[in-house]
Amino acid sequence: MAAEAAFDFREDDRAPVLALRGDWTVDTIAGLESELLALGQRMTAGAVIDVEQLGRFDVAGAYLVDRTLREGVVGEESRIAIRGQHVNALRLLQAARKSAAPPVEPPDVPTGFVGFLENVGRAAAAIGEEILETVSFFGETLVVITNLIRNPGRIRWVSIVHTMQVAGFNALPIVLLLAFFIGMVVAYLGARILGDFGAAVFTVDLIAFSMLREFGVVITAVLLAGRTNSAFTAEIGAMKMRQEIDAMRVIGIDPMEALVAPRVIAMLITTPILTFAAMMSGIFGGLIVCWAELGISPGMFFGRVAEVVPGQHFWVGFAKAPAFALVLAIIGCKQGLSVGGDVGSLGQRVTTSVVQAIFMVILLDAIFALWFLEMNW
Amino acid sequence: MSEEIVIRVRGLVTRFGEQTVHNGLDLDVRRGEILGVVGPSGTGKSVLLREIVGLEVPTEGEITFPYFDENDLEPCRGVMFQDGALFSTLTVLENVEAPLREHTHLSHRLRSEIAALKLSMAGLGPESHHKRPSQISGGMRKRAAVARAIALDPELLFLDEPTAGLDPISAANFDEMTRDLARSLGLTVFLVTHDLDTLNAICDRVAVLYDGKVAAIGTIPEIEANATGWVKEYFSGPRGRAAGRGVAGG
Repeated sequence: MAAEAAFDFREDDRAPVLALRGDWTVDTIAGLESELLALGQRMTAGAVIDVEQLGRFDVAGAYLVDRTLREGVVGEESRIAIRGQHVNALRLLQAARKSAAPPVEPPDVPTGFVGFLENVGRAAAAIGEEILETVSFFGETLVVITNLIRNPGRIRWVSIVHTMQVAGFNALPIVLLLAFFIGMVVAYLGARILGDFGAAVFTVDLIAFSMLREFGVVITAVLLAGRTNSAFTAEIGAMKMRQEIDAMRVIGIDPMEALVAPRVIAMLITTPILTFAAMMSGIFGGLIVCWAELGISPGMFFGRVAEVVPGQHFWVGFAKAPAFALVLAIIGCKQGLSVGGDVGSLGQRVTTSVVQAIFMVILLDAIFALWFLEMNW
Repeated sequence: MSEEIVIRVRGLVTRFGEQTVHNGLDLDVRRGEILGVVGPSGTGKSVLLREIVGLEVPTEGEITFPYFDENDLEPCRGVMFQDGALFSTLTVLENVEAPLREHTHLSHRLRSEIAALKLSMAGLGPESHHKRPSQISGGMRKRAAVARAIALDPELLFLDEPTAGLDPISAANFDEMTRDLARSLGLTVFLVTHDLDTLNAICDRVAVLYDGKVAAIGTIPEIEANATGWVKEYFSGPRGRAAGRGVAGG
């Protein structure tokens, strides 16, 4: 058990004496600081440290004692003089004196209104830079893929198939499940609202329209944005941090070709398939609700779908899938390659990747909706 | 250096699946010594270090610390990992303050001054205090990691490959700093290394791990006198001889 640290100060006939008692270690000195600070002005020239009663002593304790000397009347030039026997007191005091370095102030960061303005300015500049970088990355990816199509021998099929498995088909169960529930929700809404008008049968139209045109593809894309984009960014980002990307470059492997292109191609193949599955699952969820709540049999349901829903609605929804796939994969890879040297930047890039991807999916979907509406498709 | 044992390892067995890393390993670390642990890659030097500091649990055997309270070991030991393992979200100074913040009630001012003192003892000047670990060089990171390891004035200091990846001059400076720290603070140092220069320059004793056991332990001349097999090859190969000469000559 540590003995409590304490000290006595007395002024002998010739010089002041600081007598230390108990253990002076990093655990015990916390309470002594202010008392010693007050003592500083009385530590005149020739002050002596009495260590006869001192127990355990460490660098922190030595630092505090030495600081009292240095802040005394004599200042930095004061001599370390001890009285009494101790195992390591003199050695530690000397070590503390030798290495004592005044701490430097951290660099000034503007705060308050100026700091706010600076942050806003930096954020705005960063957004502009980010847009420029992403667009140029988009162009670079297209060039790389075009070159690959011209030299199919350079396409990395193993990598593509692996990504299709991990980022695509492994997502199938969750996509099916989510779309199924959304289909059910849409059907309940339709049954409730349209039923009030006595037009409950139009619920079938609502389900088919919404799942085919919008929900199938948007649910898939948002889910992939959360699931696949974060994985792409984290994988590539970790490779960047561990200098694997640099290793590729010096060996002469183009990371765009080895990492980015396979992911983009795999997403281009799997997203439409997942979208199709989501559409079917959603319609199936709606069908179950129609059957249970409205008494519309599956036969009647499909009959009505075939009668009132032209095939173009399917294509309107389906055509968005490759566009979303391209945007998702490119954002995921771009953010991964932008990861810096530390862990903080990895977390930040993964967040940015997911947020940007969901934002772009919704934005693109709105643009598509406008376009298809104006085209009357 | 005394004969008191501060770390006692008895009958240590470590298995990972089929692979046996340690097979009945015994080792004593004496108070105040600098013990170098060497051995071919894959003989479980770093695993031994991890087991002693409690990061991994051995399959069999026991590790005891006769002089310390087993329930409150953290403040008694400092560990420097191979790449420093500094917290990347904190500045260098904050990294050294972290153990102080966790285990003591020092005032803010005293805490940062003690952290600055430890950094200075480890050979890092004030210009790096407010930088992030990613903004300083590998050698500086190692020094900062040592400063963090000695922040609480531990009695035991564990160093995992302290000089790996340093240029020879930095490595020699680092060795010198380790020795100075150990002597002035009375530390017991457990040092895993591949660096023959480090062994020759600063280690009081060397333990050679081979085939799951401590194949030889003692001062370098003692080991060399009875060396066979791998141990002989290690110390009397061209690199071993050159390192030994360097010390004898200088």
